[in-house]
Amino acid sequence: MANVSVAAEWQLLYNRYYRKPELYPMRWKHVDLARHKVAGAPFGGPVAVIRDDSKIVQLHAESALRKLRLFNSAGHPLADAVWRHPGGRLIGMSWNDDLTLVCVVQDGTIYRYDLHAQLVEPNISMGKECFEQNVADCAFWGNGVVCITEQNQLFCIPDFRNPKPVPLADPMIDEPPRCIAVIEPQYTMSGNVEVLLGVADDPVVLVVEEDGVQRLGEGLLRGPLQKMVVSRDGKWLASFTHDGRLLVTTSDLTGIIIERECESSLPPEQIAWCGMDAVLLYWDDMLLMMGPDGDPVHYLYDEPIILIPECDGVRILSNTSMEFLQRVPDSTVSIFTIGSTSPAALLYDALDHFDRRSAKADENLRLIKPSLPEAVEACVDASGHEFDVSRQRTLLRAASYGQAFCSNFQRDRIQEMCKILRVLNAVRNPEIGIPLSIQQYKLLSPSVLIGRLINAHRHLLALRISEYLGMNQEVVIMHWACSKITASLSIPDATLLDILLDKLKLCKGISYAAVAAHADKNGRRKLAAMLVDHEPRSSKQVPLLLSIGEEDTALMKATESGDIDLVYLVLFHIWQKRQSLEFFGTIQARPLARDLFITYARCYKHEYLKDFFLSTGQLQDVAFLLWKESWEFVKNPMASKGSPLHGPRIKLIEKAQSLFAETKEHVFESKAAEEHAKLLRIQHELEVTTKQAIFVDSSISDTIRTCIVLGNHRAAMRVKTEFKVSEKRWYWLKVFALATIKDWVALEKFSKEKRPPIGYRPFVEACIEADEKAEAIKYIPKLADPRERAESYARIGLVKEAADAASQAKDGELLGRLKLTFAQNAAASSIFDTLRDRLSFPGAS
Amino acid sequence: MVELLLQFRGKIATAKLLILREQSQKELINILKNIRGKKCLVIDPKLGDSLSLIIQTSLLKEHGVELRHLSADHIQTDCTKVVYLVQSQPNLMRHICSNIHHDESKGLQREYHVYFVPRRTVVCEKVLEEEKLHNMVTIGEYPLYIVPMDEDVLSFELDLAYKECQVDGDTSSLWHIAKAIHKLEFSFGVIPNLRAKGKASVRVADILNRMQAEEPVNSSDMVMPEINTLILLDREVDMVTPLCSQLTYEGLLDEFLNIKNGSVELDASIMGLQQEGKKTKVPLNSTDKLFKEIRDLNFEVVVQILRQKATSMKQDYTEMTTTSQSVSELKDFVKKLNSLPEITRHINLAQHLTTFTSKPSFLGQLDMEHTIVESQSYDICFDYIEELIHKQEPLTTVLRLLILFSVTNSGLPKKHFDYLRRELLHSYGFEHITTLNNLEKAGLFKKQESRSNWLTIKRALQLVVEDTDTANPNDISYVFSGYAPFSIRLIQHAIRSGWRPVEEILKLLPGPHLETKRGAFSNSPSFDSLSGVSTGIAKVPDGRRALVLVVFVGGVTFAEISALRFLCSQEGMAYDLIIATTKIVNGQTLVETFMEKLGG
Repeated sequence: MANVSVAAEWQLLYNRYYRKPELYPMRWKHVDLARHKVAGAPFGGPVAVIRDDSKIVQLHAESALRKLRLFNSAGHPLADAVWRHPGGRLIGMSWNDDLTLVCVVQDGTIYRYDLHAQLVEPNISMGKECFEQNVADCAFWGNGVVCITEQNQLFCIPDFRNPKPVPLADPMIDEPPRCIAVIEPQYTMSGNVEVLLGVADDPVVLVVEEDGVQRLGEGLLRGPLQKMVVSRDGKWLASFTHDGRLLVTTSDLTGIIIERECESSLPPEQIAWCGMDAVLLYWDDMLLMMGPDGDPVHYLYDEPIILIPECDGVRILSNTSMEFLQRVPDSTVSIFTIGSTSPAALLYDALDHFDRRSAKADENLRLIKPSLPEAVEACVDASGHEFDVSRQRTLLRAASYGQAFCSNFQRDRIQEMCKILRVLNAVRNPEIGIPLSIQQYKLLSPSVLIGRLINAHRHLLALRISEYLGMNQEVVIMHWACSKITASLSIPDATLLDILLDKLKLCKGISYAAVAAHADKNGRRKLAAMLVDHEPRSSKQVPLLLSIGEEDTALMKATESGDIDLVYLVLFHIWQKRQSLEFFGTIQARPLARDLFITYARCYKHEYLKDFFLSTGQLQDVAFLLWKESWEFVKNPMASKGSPLHGPRIKLIEKAQSLFAETKEHVFESKAAEEHAKLLRIQHELEVTTKQAIFVDSSISDTIRTCIVLGNHRAAMRVKTEFKVSEKRWYWLKVFALATIKDWVALEKFSKEKRPPIGYRPFVEACIEADEKAEAIKYIPKLADPRERAESYARIGLVKEAADAASQAKDGELLGRLKLTFAQNAAASSIFDTLRDRLSFPGAS
Repeated sequence: MVELLLQFRGKIATAKLLILREQSQKELINILKNIRGKKCLVIDPKLGDSLSLIIQTSLLKEHGVELRHLSADHIQTDCTKVVYLVQSQPNLMRHICSNIHHDESKGLQREYHVYFVPRRTVVCEKVLEEEKLHNMVTIGEYPLYIVPMDEDVLSFELDLAYKECQVDGDTSSLWHIAKAIHKLEFSFGVIPNLRAKGKASVRVADILNRMQAEEPVNSSDMVMPEINTLILLDREVDMVTPLCSQLTYEGLLDEFLNIKNGSVELDASIMGLQQEGKKTKVPLNSTDKLFKEIRDLNFEVVVQILRQKATSMKQDYTEMTTTSQSVSELKDFVKKLNSLPEITRHINLAQHLTTFTSKPSFLGQLDMEHTIVESQSYDICFDYIEELIHKQEPLTTVLRLLILFSVTNSGLPKKHFDYLRRELLHSYGFEHITTLNNLEKAGLFKKQESRSNWLTIKRALQLVVEDTDTANPNDISYVFSGYAPFSIRLIQHAIRSGWRPVEEILKLLPGPHLETKRGAFSNSPSFDSLSGVSTGIAKVPDGRRALVLVVFVGGVTFAEISALRFLCSQEGMAYDLIIATTKIVNGQTLVETFMEKLGG
């Protein structure tokens, strides 16, 4: 029976079953692990192999040059590279979290390779000390490395994303440590890496950190440790003692959890945790698995093996095969243990009977009816843990068979599992060679898996998976496009553009600018320009256009976008890059850019703006600038009134005037500037003669008023004639000026000088505003328009006179308005009512 | 009508607009939280005004903030952390630079943060870079694009937008407006119908469509968007309306007392308070029920309503003291008493306003505005303006009429143009040549080059309405006692039947016009026209009326807002309106943006 054969491959360790299915026969040829240094990445990652230069090996028909070779987990070659690096022996080699191969050589140089055996620039140096003292050993973790020099100094790189070597505290030991292990920063209290050193002849473990060394395990250990390894979660330390015992302690060495005698006192070559509850020890041809209790399990190997720890087991790599040693999951145990009568086992059995059309199927089902949901769940779960596709299928069939009889089982559970298994099976294909277990997959997360696939240039599979899982495909397509550009040096731009666009359009909102930037980095500026043209986001497009030197297009696109900020970006860029005249020419052709330049320059680059206007022949604008500048003299505290600084000010204005005069369209401005200069001269003179600094920078009208107020009528007259002030304005100015100083006699005299050109209204208004009713009454009767008379009377409160005048004007609307003015006065109000009734004007509302 | 107005106002999807306010508030607080400890917040004064609508000063203080206004003077504070919150205008950078340089010279070690509103810009950073300060400051953004002014009014707070576009050719405001609308679309859905008139508006529409293409608002679920139509209108199209004196209550308050961020400041004595010489702030927004009722009415009517209310109150009071009342009647009376403070407040304000409105100069000005709008007696208008200049009346008053005059005549004959310019320079000083230059560039005061279309437009759109009943209006012309605001007339058409029927008129106006469908609706023929009859489209699923967003590019006046609210309250109106503007303006503030002294 099938059930029996499954469990027959299991080994019992204490009370747990372990199994060791073969994942792949290795496809590689002529690889002898014994002759090589090997690094295998966790999560079903690739394997790196290079001839071990610390061993003396015989060369069989191969080049004397060493070659770094990369394989996937199935031994399928990925890439290779000849190793020609100086710097001495290769000390250590390991894959970090983002699948970069990190190689440390003797002089402390770190070479990094990507999945395609391409050297990742730049190389990292562990620093001067390492270079001088030579690296003796090193230990890696997910994203960092610790090196120990031949003089027993420690240096670490805490994170390869920011590769800066950090010295650790001096452990003060003379002999090289027997063994070394690290606790990852994420599991330490300090957040920094802790290095554990097993030292010779001293029954302690030294813990070295950046700021100190601690001695742990004093009293607990009976002798020096030969080998150690920290568990995945950093909590436990498994070590091999000087006297041949396996010791499992807490990682701070405060308590012993397990202590077992091993059959050898020679230290094992490799030691590794298998999940969290067993430790593997490997000697020459024997692999020993120790559990917390019970007899250890022995596996015999007649060829060398490499242990690659995973979160839920250990992969065992040999010359010929890749195996996965793991604890048998509980659901699997419940189904396949020999003689199991668990509901899940019965359900699995029922399917078998059903397939053979045996009535026993129904019997089984009825037997487990109450616990059917758990049985289904166990079958689903067990299917997830299987590597064998047909067994996955059988288990899922059993689950769906049982599900048909259970009402309260989560329907999408099976579907979900199918989805996961499809993805897992796809990546487990030997071509791809990523033998993830379901647990590893969940820990790794689909997005990281996709990231790994695209790094391995498995774009199609990555695209399909992300599509299948409903994830954003942008990452995949973007990476594909960039890789495609890198790889297609010989394809002409136009052809490659079509190829790229064909795929890029699959993903809405993808950044064409990013792809274009990559093309540019690869020296394909023309392709970049073509690509960036497809970018809909101006904010991405414009900066890129600038970086590939397409300034004119950038300016055009920025202008089109309406985003002023982008226009300024281009503007400043061009400004910096080009000669002034060329710059001026460029922006002169683009009104928006030109206007923005002017706006900015007005604030901060006055002189430069003048150059611009001169170069483009906008003389009137230069003139305006000069005129504006002339005021700067006023603001300048040195330019106190009456000082000779007036000269330069007037000169500037005159210069402006002559510039205005250059063009026909600015006759008015030219005239105004001329008058301004003239005014300033006169005002300056007036200040000198009157010894009062009150003239400069007042208007012509104000100057006249001031003169009259000061009683200097001759000067007022002079200003009037100099500037051809009209009689109309003159009358208003003089009347108001006289009213200001309440010179009523002079006012009356002025009114009689001749018939005022604009009548007597100015006189009336000036008097009313000065609240001089008696004076006002002198002039009101002289007003020609009866309506004006009525209103003026009303304003000084003479109701009767107002009404009379209004009735003369025969204006109903006026009457209404006057009534409103006298709203508070009942008597006055009635006067207007009667008047209006008498007139009975239509439309008088 | 009052009831109708109330009815409309309650229903608007204002909840979401209020969320905007909360969001902005939260964003600001987050910025402050992220800078630990005590800090000195330096705000540019103009931004400070708008921020007061977003967050209370007390709330800022709770977050360890010492508040200062940005100026050229250095900051005096004990805080070691200084946070500048400024609009991204290059000229403000100057102050920041001088502040920091001052600290440096005094050897003060401070941590500087500059937060740009609404976003960082290359120009501003360039200034910091040239001053070699960019390494000393941490730069951030506070994306405040919209400030809700009231439950149906949004402002982008771009005071200078109109002038910058027309005079300087700086169209940053248009991007800002598009961005703001796009942001609104993220919470209201893509607005399916768009109508725009004027160069700037069409450009905004264009940028908005670009933004939608670059960063689409997800409208795949085909849910009916809450805002049905977006109407964009350039201020340039109608420069007549904002220059006329507003005659609604709120409009007049703004004309004379200058409403700033929903409140006016005036002498305490006017409000009947006993604090001599002190200023007091009177809030004016829709939380004041009485104000909500009367703000949009013609001032004449407001005076009557207030009188009625006062009288009835007095009557109730006498009844109360003479006859015995039932408990429920007492209750009603007390309820009425509660509104007493509001009534008093508005009676005080109205009284204060009448001191302005009864002035002959104001009446004369109204008269002249009317004459100019009627556009019949050129000479009278010309003489009047000339006289104003000769009398050296305040320049803004003069320019307001002058622009109105020039705009309705599409410029003045060269002789008059040059003459008035000369008289202006002579009377007010040569430094105003820049102002004149600005106005000419903006086409507001210019040489006549073609015949004016104003008469045709006025007649075709019935802008001057005889016999306007301000108390029971049946047309928007009530807001100006006889002149129907041109801008609102256009919008009235745009809402009712789109541009097509008024196409001939639109062609007479500056700038292109545009009418399109957007988003998922651009290809669907079933949403063909936005018509008042087919109310089926206009309903949002939960039975509320759909919204129309009216955006004024270049500013809007309170009177125009009132006219829109009036339209909304009319029977047969299928939509609620939200009004957005670059800034709430009036004739004076609008003219002031163009005023620039050469030496200033």
